[in-house]
Amino acid sequence: MSNDIVTRMGDGERVQLSAGEIREDIQTGTADAAQRAGVPELTAQEQERLFDIISDPSRIVSVNPGEEVIVTDDGCSMSFYSGQDGAGVGVPLSRMQAVLTYERACGADTTSLGHSDYSYKPVKPIINFEANDYYNTSMMTTAPFFYGAQPNLGLYFQPDGPCPNAAELMPMGKIDEARRAQEEAAGHLAKDLVFVGSRLADVGLEGLNFDTSGSAGDADFMAALQAVAELKRKVPDLPILMGASGEFVLGMHGEVEYEGTRLAGLYPQGQVKVIETAGADIAGVAINTATTESLPWNLSRAVTFVKAASGASNIPVHANVGMGVCGIPMMEQPPIDSVTRVSKALVQLGKADGL
Amino acid sequence: MSTEIFESAADAILKGDSDKAVETAKKGLGEGLDPVMLINEGFIPGINKVGDMFGSGKLFLPELILAAAAMQNATDIINEAIPEGEGQSRGRFLIGTVEGDVHDIGKTIVVSLMKANGFEVMDLGRDVSTDRFIEAADKFNADIIGTSALLTTTMEGQRRLEVELKKAGLKERFKTMVGGAPVTQRWAKRIGADAFAENASEAVKLAKALLETA
Repeated sequence: MSNDIVTRMGDGERVQLSAGEIREDIQTGTADAAQRAGVPELTAQEQERLFDIISDPSRIVSVNPGEEVIVTDDGCSMSFYSGQDGAGVGVPLSRMQAVLTYERACGADTTSLGHSDYSYKPVKPIINFEANDYYNTSMMTTAPFFYGAQPNLGLYFQPDGPCPNAAELMPMGKIDEARRAQEEAAGHLAKDLVFVGSRLADVGLEGLNFDTSGSAGDADFMAALQAVAELKRKVPDLPILMGASGEFVLGMHGEVEYEGTRLAGLYPQGQVKVIETAGADIAGVAINTATTESLPWNLSRAVTFVKAASGASNIPVHANVGMGVCGIPMMEQPPIDSVTRVSKALVQLGKADGL
Repeated sequence: MSTEIFESAADAILKGDSDKAVETAKKGLGEGLDPVMLINEGFIPGINKVGDMFGSGKLFLPELILAAAAMQNATDIINEAIPEGEGQSRGRFLIGTVEGDVHDIGKTIVVSLMKANGFEVMDLGRDVSTDRFIEAADKFNADIIGTSALLTTTMEGQRRLEVELKKAGLKERFKTMVGGAPVTQRWAKRIGADAFAENASEAVKLAKALLETA
């Protein structure tokens, strides 16, 4: 069988695979996701549709008219002005110019503003400036304009923060102390998320994004959930997008719960339910891309997880299609052939409500 | 009886029970079990199971830390019981975990099996810089340099070693072998390493093969 279908590996390398190899990777990919998350595999028909999307000879692919979905921005405008080391292109634009360029020149569905550190904690001491910038820019935009950053629990551990460093305590076998430190840090984090969200809401915030929640583990995820619930109590009309950071919540603590659900090890179909319970309006899911596996394998896994999450959720599910996530190869500038195939498959087969 | 000990070893690691792991290691050795077999049939299946469960979100960091400590304590005892290769050395094997990476359980198991198979082994430990690998290989007069990396971000250390060996004109002098969870045959080929070992037993086989063809 000839190796005549051009695709990529998870690290972005171009490879040519045969139809048989692609079908096999699709099958093993969906089986892997199903086994891990305890969800159904893609049906034979879905696998064949995925094969068609991947093996389409066109460089880019798309959904049919009428099947388009919204793309929620999570820091894309930052890519205009940040340098290559921040995965950006280094164009000399102000934050406002970048947001407006993204909206007006690129036709973005939504835009967003974020601090260059992209964490909430550093925004706290400069909230007046940040709220002012947000307000001024929001006077110029038409599309929904989010404020976004990552919760990033790591910033609350010494030497960057007040709490004993859990990552140092854990390898020393001080597990109870490490857990207590994470719980204490999560308290600080939730408070800061609510503070920043509330202050931005005061100037007419159109949407808040807790991006990559849980990147520092289950206590990080819990703090974001608590903050969503508290913000919804204080500002019920504030739309909140809470996105996850991986296909399961990392158990750095292992025992924290939200409303009776243990967060460690929670897969997307469980993540979206706790995000929904907290009161968020959109749930973001992120599936890890394995760099040593092919795009067909990675995408098949991602579609399997996303389909299960979409089926379980009563709020819109937006799949993260950034670098190294949901089947997109791990490259700073993800290739368009892969991005379009991943997007089409996640929408048509994964039933994602947005990207 | 040995089956019972192997099961007890795996169970001790899975539960992160250091006392039980040490007790099982001592008991197995006391009953005359081959140390290499005790690692291969008992403790390694346990730590592999822990790795699989951690990788799929079924077991979490605190449990992983306890399991790793239990494994380390058990392998320390077993390593002491492994006789150094008798008679002529099969070759000199230098090994370490690359810079920025502090994982060394897998690497320590490779050390055990290499020693058991008659190699003279120098273990540089973890977080080893490229320069240190090259200097130590020169002093030790290594036949093979083995590098371990557990993270995709630290795998670059394996590539750097290949680049620096070539720059220094030493690529022909040392054979190189790479391993670690994210490392593949494809990666080895891409960076120009001489061999990729999926696990410790394969590392031994490949090391023997590399020296036979040298």
